[in-house]
Amino acid sequence: MRLITHNMLSCNIKGVANGFPLLIEAGKVIEKEVDFNPDFLRHMFAKIEWKALVEGARSMGYAELPEDSPDATVLDSDESFLKKLHHALLELHLEEGALVCPETGRKFPVNKGIPNMLLHEDEV
Amino acid sequence: MKATLAPFSFTSLPYRTNSSFRSPSLLLKSPSSASLTTAARGSVALKATTSTEALREGIAEFYNETSGLWEEIWGDHMHHGFYDPDSSIQLSDSGHREAQIRMIEESLHFAGVTERVKRVVDVGCGIGGSSRYLASKFGAECIGITLSPVQAKRANDLAAAQSLSKRVSFLVADALEQPFEDGKFDLVWSMESGEHMPDKAKFVKELVRVAAPGGRIIIVTWCHRNLSQGEETLQPWEQNLLDRICKTFYLPAWCSTDDYVNLLQSHSLQDIKCADWSENVAPFWPAVIRTALTWNGLWSLLLSGMKSIKGALTMPLMIKGYKKGVIKFGIITCQKPL
Repeated sequence: MRLITHNMLSCNIKGVANGFPLLIEAGKVIEKEVDFNPDFLRHMFAKIEWKALVEGARSMGYAELPEDSPDATVLDSDESFLKKLHHALLELHLEEGALVCPETGRKFPVNKGIPNMLLHEDEV
Repeated sequence: MKATLAPFSFTSLPYRTNSSFRSPSLLLKSPSSASLTTAARGSVALKATTSTEALREGIAEFYNETSGLWEEIWGDHMHHGFYDPDSSIQLSDSGHREAQIRMIEESLHFAGVTERVKRVVDVGCGIGGSSRYLASKFGAECIGITLSPVQAKRANDLAAAQSLSKRVSFLVADALEQPFEDGKFDLVWSMESGEHMPDKAKFVKELVRVAAPGGRIIIVTWCHRNLSQGEETLQPWEQNLLDRICKTFYLPAWCSTDDYVNLLQSHSLQDIKCADWSENVAPFWPAVIRTALTWNGLWSLLLSGMKSIKGALTMPLMIKGYKKGVIKFGIITCQKPL
């Protein structure tokens, strides 16, 4: 699971008001190189929940992103920022671990890179 | 893809009783929550004790076991092809894959999706054929959800092989409890997955919830025929036919296209449209059977295990259902207001 996906996921247990973002328990993280595509990043930038991305990256061992979401103009001027964004968003893979609901602590396992978000009967 | 689990005991499935089909309002609700005993499932220790969890596990196991075979026969698009009526096709033709692509394009066209979409959710994604196609076509980000871990893994592997990993990802999740916040997707795509949903009202509610304002919802699904004025249920023989198909393919409930339209209307969606594409998919099942009956096909079937074999034996029932006008292949689309 990459952070671009994590940025979309939330805990949907019944009654949970603040299920986003899911905390990451990083068991096994691997890095897979992906072609650098600045246009794709620029296109995605507005939709990214920045804080979730920064915290998620930190959980996976990458702390190079700025704490606050930079101004969009930086996308055109700062290639080193784009490279950091690219690396965090697309190249860090959580292979084994868990996604943790911030409100209930419930763990959703991640195996072979695939999160399992199925709820139990008493959670719906 | 051989299952190591004992075959599912069909006679103990509690989730459909005759009484649920006397009242149209129950047709779309969850079945009774009588539990399965572990004894009914053979030697496997079960976590699931309710019918909903049992169904979910059944679907997951079914696709864990049969996905490889379906991929061999159908390719990576696990849905019907769209054909001109009365055409005859061989599955070995590249025409088959083209027809599956055509199904996607015809669906998009019918729904009026002309502008570029940015975020797609593929609900019941199989091994991700639609997701990868839509991501490529629109340059969109796509998330696919499936109950089968085997399918999710295969889908991810195929995406990586096609260099689509940055746009497309897959996870194990329930279409009735989608792990997304509201309004995230400008295209909500359900290609031949609605059949598996035990609670159509909940299914539609989730599709609507995750759709962004202005986003479109596309449901392509097997249905039973619309009921006529004054008809409360299908005829007993029709019900019987559907029951037999349901058990093998883990289809918990059938509804009609009208039922979907009514559900969408109840959510105040706009531009609700539907069509009957039964004639356009009719060539498909005979072609699947012809392939299954080749020596290659039979051997693959035998190797794939009981669920695949039972699935294969049920295919003639699908043809019968289509021929008799009981089973319909429908598309229902709409747009969420801004």
